[in-house]
Amino acid sequence: MIKRIKKINYTSWLFILPAILVIVSLLLYPVLSSVVYSFTSKHLTRPVSTFVGLQNYKKILADEQFYKAFFMSIKWTVASIGGQVILGFILAMLLNSIKIGKKMFRVLLIVPWAFPVVVIAVIWKFLLNGVYGFIPTMLVNLGLTDTLPQFLSSGTLVFPTILFVNLWFGTPMIMVNILSALQTIPEEQYEAAKMDGASTWQTFVSVTIPHISKVVGLLVILRTIWVFTNFDMVYLLTGGGPANVTMTLPIYAYKMGWGLKLLGKSSAITIIMLIFLLIVCSIYFYYSDKKEKENV
Amino acid sequence: MRKLFKKKMLVWGFALLASIFLISACGGKDKKDEATVDGELNGEITFWHSFTQGPRMESIQKSAEDFEKEHPGVKIKIESFSWDDFYQKWTTGLASNNVPDMSTALPNHVVEMIDSGAVVPLNDLIDSIGRNRFSEMSIGEGHVDGNDYSIPLYSHAQVMWIRKDLLEENNLEIPETWDEFAKAAEILTKDGVYGASFPTGSNDFLGTRYLNYYVRSHGESLLTDDLKANITSDAAIEGIKFWVDIYEKASPKDSISYNVLDQATLYYQGKTAFDFNSGFQIAGVEANSPDLLEYIDAAPIPKVNKDDEELGIETANIPMVVWENSEHPEVCKAFIEYLFEKDRYIEFLSATPVGMLPSLNDISEEPAYKENKIVKQFSHAEKVISDAVAKGTAIGYEHGPSVQAGLLVSQGIIESMFQDIITNDVQVEKAAKAAEEELNEIFSSVEQ
Amino acid sequence: MRKKLSVRTIIKYLTLILASIVAVFPLLWIILSAFKGPGEINQYPTNILPKQWTFDNFRYVLSELNFGNYIVNSLVIALATTFVAVTISALAAYGVVRFFPRVGKALTRLLITTYMFPPILLAIPYSVIIGALGLVNTRIGLIIVYLSFSVPYAVWLLVGFFETVPLGIEEAARIDGANKLQVFIQVVLPIVAPGIVATAIYTFINAWNEFLYSLILINSTEKMTIAVALRALENQEILDWGQMMAASSLVVLPSVIFFVFIQNKISSGLAEGATK
Repeated sequence: MIKRIKKINYTSWLFILPAILVIVSLLLYPVLSSVVYSFTSKHLTRPVSTFVGLQNYKKILADEQFYKAFFMSIKWTVASIGGQVILGFILAMLLNSIKIGKKMFRVLLIVPWAFPVVVIAVIWKFLLNGVYGFIPTMLVNLGLTDTLPQFLSSGTLVFPTILFVNLWFGTPMIMVNILSALQTIPEEQYEAAKMDGASTWQTFVSVTIPHISKVVGLLVILRTIWVFTNFDMVYLLTGGGPANVTMTLPIYAYKMGWGLKLLGKSSAITIIMLIFLLIVCSIYFYYSDKKEKENV
Repeated sequence: MRKLFKKKMLVWGFALLASIFLISACGGKDKKDEATVDGELNGEITFWHSFTQGPRMESIQKSAEDFEKEHPGVKIKIESFSWDDFYQKWTTGLASNNVPDMSTALPNHVVEMIDSGAVVPLNDLIDSIGRNRFSEMSIGEGHVDGNDYSIPLYSHAQVMWIRKDLLEENNLEIPETWDEFAKAAEILTKDGVYGASFPTGSNDFLGTRYLNYYVRSHGESLLTDDLKANITSDAAIEGIKFWVDIYEKASPKDSISYNVLDQATLYYQGKTAFDFNSGFQIAGVEANSPDLLEYIDAAPIPKVNKDDEELGIETANIPMVVWENSEHPEVCKAFIEYLFEKDRYIEFLSATPVGMLPSLNDISEEPAYKENKIVKQFSHAEKVISDAVAKGTAIGYEHGPSVQAGLLVSQGIIESMFQDIITNDVQVEKAAKAAEEELNEIFSSVEQ
Repeated sequence: MRKKLSVRTIIKYLTLILASIVAVFPLLWIILSAFKGPGEINQYPTNILPKQWTFDNFRYVLSELNFGNYIVNSLVIALATTFVAVTISALAAYGVVRFFPRVGKALTRLLITTYMFPPILLAIPYSVIIGALGLVNTRIGLIIVYLSFSVPYAVWLLVGFFETVPLGIEEAARIDGANKLQVFIQVVLPIVAPGIVATAIYTFINAWNEFLYSLILINSTEKMTIAVALRALENQEILDWGQMMAASSLVVLPSVIFFVFIQNKISSGLAEGATK
């Protein structure tokens, strides 16, 4: 249990006041307006709208496409986050354990993070193009396949391909954060473990893991939400195709809100997403709180 | 009351935040608008256009400066956004009163702008420039309930692009019918070159566009007279089968995920023998593959039978609109009329020769227009495209401007249908029926 | 024993080299393509290296398309956002961890709810708010909106880093008579410096690459950010790959330089900070 250094007083409030101001002023209105829209026939460009009750929700929950997109979103998020964490963790451990060239590798490895999504889509589509793309032609030249692989247009290859791009893009951020967490572990803790005669593995389990788990946990939650609600990466790479196999919930909502201009309906989709994510987060918090209590 | 309080809180919060910032910022726009005095034009207008680069932008800029010189009371603020972005810009802009005084637009957008009461009629302006100088069709795209809400700035049309060298090497004539096209495309598919790529990526509308070529050349439409989707007509079913066949015989397999950029790049790389695009293809080839420029030419989109008369296929008339929010519509109108002055207009068009064709029919006969180097070099292509412009309409506009026509192209449903047929072996009739039903459901869901 | 170790080291390095190649390859491709003359990018088969190096694409993008100006705009906005957001968030995260552990937890959890809304749906309300404040088409307006997504993220992640700071160190400082702010700046910040840097990188990158809000809130061309300018280039009727590659390089490189710069800052500050 963390003991409070001093009683709560005004100086303590000053620390958190600016953040509260930002949040309240910037998020209350947008969030509330989305909730309100979801119960109306709000149209993107028409000025008038009427209250329709639960109509929007009913229609969406009756749409088969919604469930497909939902499932796809879950698959996409779980695979992306799982892959990014595993790869990011391995790379961070590797970086932390080497002496020479550490800085250089660290910079090289986070380069993908610097890419705006527009550029990601343009360059990967160019490199993966099934006619002239560098990667398919290289695979053929190396004798690995006979025909040019259709990375973005084959129903079976498209998911692994966009997943690869997302791992390429997202791993650096996880890596940097894990690395930062590793670097905040005080040297004494390792020394203490050594003195107790712990093996490398034991040190890893008893010192490293507990120390970084907090940051990694928070990061995973954040990235999960981000990937789940992210729209442009998949949209720009595949547009949800071929034959809707990569249609995620945000793309579905986008098509509703901007394609059909049915802002009411797309707000309802967002609210459903919000509720789902809240449930996921609550489960996570429940278990992390429980674990914390056990540790005390 | 409560709302007011919330707003006050907001403002207060922002003021506090803003004071933290150390960087200086530019002040908000100050609108010092005075009323018009005795006929002299006065006031500041904002003009959004979509010519984000090169000579087109400069040409407009210069016209604005000249106009300001002639009317000292007028100030024209020009701001530019790409076509795709422009759409998000004005739709959100409507919600927060952040729209310009005048702008360029796409025909589909105009319908929505009229629908939401965002733009004003321009009947007087069109009359003043000369109603009969425009083609009836191009004006018709902004015509609702006796009012004309848009004025076409320039036009272009979809045509077939060929590679003269490849045709010659294989002793082939320029295909005039779809059958000839299919045969030629199949023959030309060899040595790493594809006869024709059939693009149907989900984040673009090329599948719809290609199907529309075929259906329109049969004199049919993708919409019925009462504005329902029409994907199951004989021509449409045949068209779907036709393109699936081309896909299998002459197209790279990757093309089912292609958007317009991917498709054009293939032609720039010399990897496709035929392509379909507007006159902008010339500037694109010139920028990316100057070596190919001498081998390309345009030809009419194939017909059903050789002796059929040429039907219009797809024309784009790029319009300008004046916004309801504008405090100075008279300035906007005067400036638009200024842009259409002969020499000025010809200079504007020469920014993308053959890409932008005049919407005023007398201009194309002007010597100054004809003298342009590219117009001369591609005089055949220019003629082909001009002929196509005169007869065609935007996709689905055969029945006049409609929201349905916009939805037909923007939803990716026809693209998805093609992908379904190709990757999942769904039967054509079944897939077409499903797509048609889906479109009709969408049409009904937006009707009010 | 020694030999075994070095084999392990070799594998480590090989893995890192391979990963680095995958990471950097697209950037290299973009930069090299930007130096190719007209026709060469779209030549098939493609050369990796330009046959003839040309600066034309960069020259055009910088002088004719004014990308230099957009880079400055984005830089000002991204740096200001990073500075303000990280300052506000570091204070808040520390405050939450030290002074309001209970309430704070609930509060930070509430924070991430904001991430559950796709930006595309927040765009409309934001344009209304910024419009009501008369801040449309100002950099301040844009920075304020950027705070809406940077602050929640930064607070959320920094809480994790601050929680790793041992209380003992702070108590020692307090016994020496330092006040809260002094403890925070002199003792706590150096320890969590790597976390701050990671957060700053994230905030910077997101602000630098942000597209949608910038498109909607900024009207005038001279205030446009680089992401919007890039999109304008991509969505042209006349597509020029050389220009697009040059513009893309100019968008990605400043972030990479920012990485190099900010990374050197941590590795020195940290080691001493933690052991003090």
